[in-house]
Amino acid sequence: MAAIFRLSIKQLAGPRRLLLLLLLAALPIGLAVLVSLTLGEDETSNEEFVDGLLDGLLVAGVMPIISLVLATALFGNEVEDRTLSYLVLRPVSRYQIVLAKLGAALVIGVPLVVLSGVIATWLGGSGVLGSKVVLLGNDAVAIAAVGIALLLGFAAYTALFTWAGLMSTKALPYALVYVVLWEGVVSSFLGGIRYLSVRGYTLGLVHGLDERSFGELADRVIEFPAALVGVVAVTAGFFLLTVKRLHDMDVP
Amino acid sequence: MTSAEMARAAVREPSIDVDSVSKWFGSVVAVNDVSLQVQPGITGLLGPNGAGKTTLLRMISGLAKPSEGSIKLLGQPVRGDPELYRRVGVMTEQEAVYGLFSGREFVAFSARLYGLDPVGPAVDKAIALVGMMEASDRPLRTYSRGMRQRMRLATALVHEPELLLLDEPLSGTDPRQRLEFQHLMLELAGEGRTILISSHILEEVETLADNILLMVSGKLAASGDFHAIRAKLDEQPYNVRVVSSDARAMASALIGLDTVDSVTVNDDEALVVLSRNVEALQRSIPHIAKQQRIRLLRVEPLDESLESVFGYLVEA
Repeated sequence: MAAIFRLSIKQLAGPRRLLLLLLLAALPIGLAVLVSLTLGEDETSNEEFVDGLLDGLLVAGVMPIISLVLATALFGNEVEDRTLSYLVLRPVSRYQIVLAKLGAALVIGVPLVVLSGVIATWLGGSGVLGSKVVLLGNDAVAIAAVGIALLLGFAAYTALFTWAGLMSTKALPYALVYVVLWEGVVSSFLGGIRYLSVRGYTLGLVHGLDERSFGELADRVIEFPAALVGVVAVTAGFFLLTVKRLHDMDVP
Repeated sequence: MTSAEMARAAVREPSIDVDSVSKWFGSVVAVNDVSLQVQPGITGLLGPNGAGKTTLLRMISGLAKPSEGSIKLLGQPVRGDPELYRRVGVMTEQEAVYGLFSGREFVAFSARLYGLDPVGPAVDKAIALVGMMEASDRPLRTYSRGMRQRMRLATALVHEPELLLLDEPLSGTDPRQRLEFQHLMLELAGEGRTILISSHILEEVETLADNILLMVSGKLAASGDFHAIRAKLDEQPYNVRVVSSDARAMASALIGLDTVDSVTVNDDEALVVLSRNVEALQRSIPHIAKQQRIRLLRVEPLDESLESVFGYLVEA
């Protein structure tokens, strides 16, 4: 399993892909700096931070896109290059293959996404850059809430998109449609969709872990237990579906 | 497992047992109700391009799931227990490799997945067997097609499997490499292993294989000793439809040939020629047409399956 993990890391860590991911991860940090520096003294709301940066950019944009870039390549490239047979014609269970590949995507993606969120929260939310307005409550709790929620949300997205990458060579556009239409547009009209949305779970986790700092989210998030169950169910469910798909499919 | 143990195991069960296997893709039947058994030694899976060899071999190796039927390797169902691959080596038709590896890293990667420990000696041995020691540290992406094929063969051999499944292993190799490959296969077969080699080029396998399996149009057209199959096919009558500018003159000329059993003139003025020596018939028809100043409009086989088998064998 370690050999597949190392191979997957090498496959994912191409210089162009890494550069793209680093740029994506840097976006929220840059925006946090801007938000922090441009707020006036009389501004008491943390709306800009929560709406623009956390929900708008980190959870709805950077996290799924980084996951998408990594996860659809995990099996997608093997299928396209027709090298998957080198893994499945070996005495390695499908479960181990999926676990090793998923692990590689998490090892590369989690630090990027979590650090991006944590640094952005620290810079933008605590007034560390000189803003006299503290946008969030307790620094440590808010940072931990963002970090944990992004970690779990990223894992769920990655499990989902890894399965998609094995189901179709066109996983990338399909996944984008899911993120933009389902999680973005449809869920804004139909609140119940948030129970079937990784974005909804992630925001529910952030809010549940630190209601004080992220009270702004109260009217648009699902309950913390539902978010926790949802994110675990999606991660575990799509992990198992990927194992099943790899077991049942005709390997090219 | 020692050679003697492998030989004893072979008495109990075939190395490969394919039972009523079919595979279809939508409405296209790629493999149609094939049953076969393969024992230790070298067996050639032969047939023209598009005959269904690769699809069958993909099912035998576990890459593809049969639409119907079952396959066992070394007594176990091929799909479901990956541990089976500790005893089976597969070289697929796909020539893709991991370009980011050197040749040695590629073989070592496979060795690790096979659970070998230590990896080094097994990797060295496999690379030496395929004659790639000198180039083994070069990146795979710099290899020629033949070199890649040999390194891919090394990944299938590195764990010294009892059963080897090789799909077109000689494509891209030069005559010297083919000779070396033949020696290697004979050596491995001599140790009691089972080797199934798929090829669309008969001469690649003819000198190697004890037995052949002949696929035509998705079906197993023949199996057994090559020479026995060829002799049997020579005895089969063969129908050819000949359309020309003068059917009666053509019929008169053809009926005089030793190679022709009968000639029938159809209502549409086409001839149906029955022959037991298609090779000679194919040579004769243009000569007769030229001598008799008859214009040939169409010459076509009526026994598609048989023609393919026969044509395949006689052209080799």
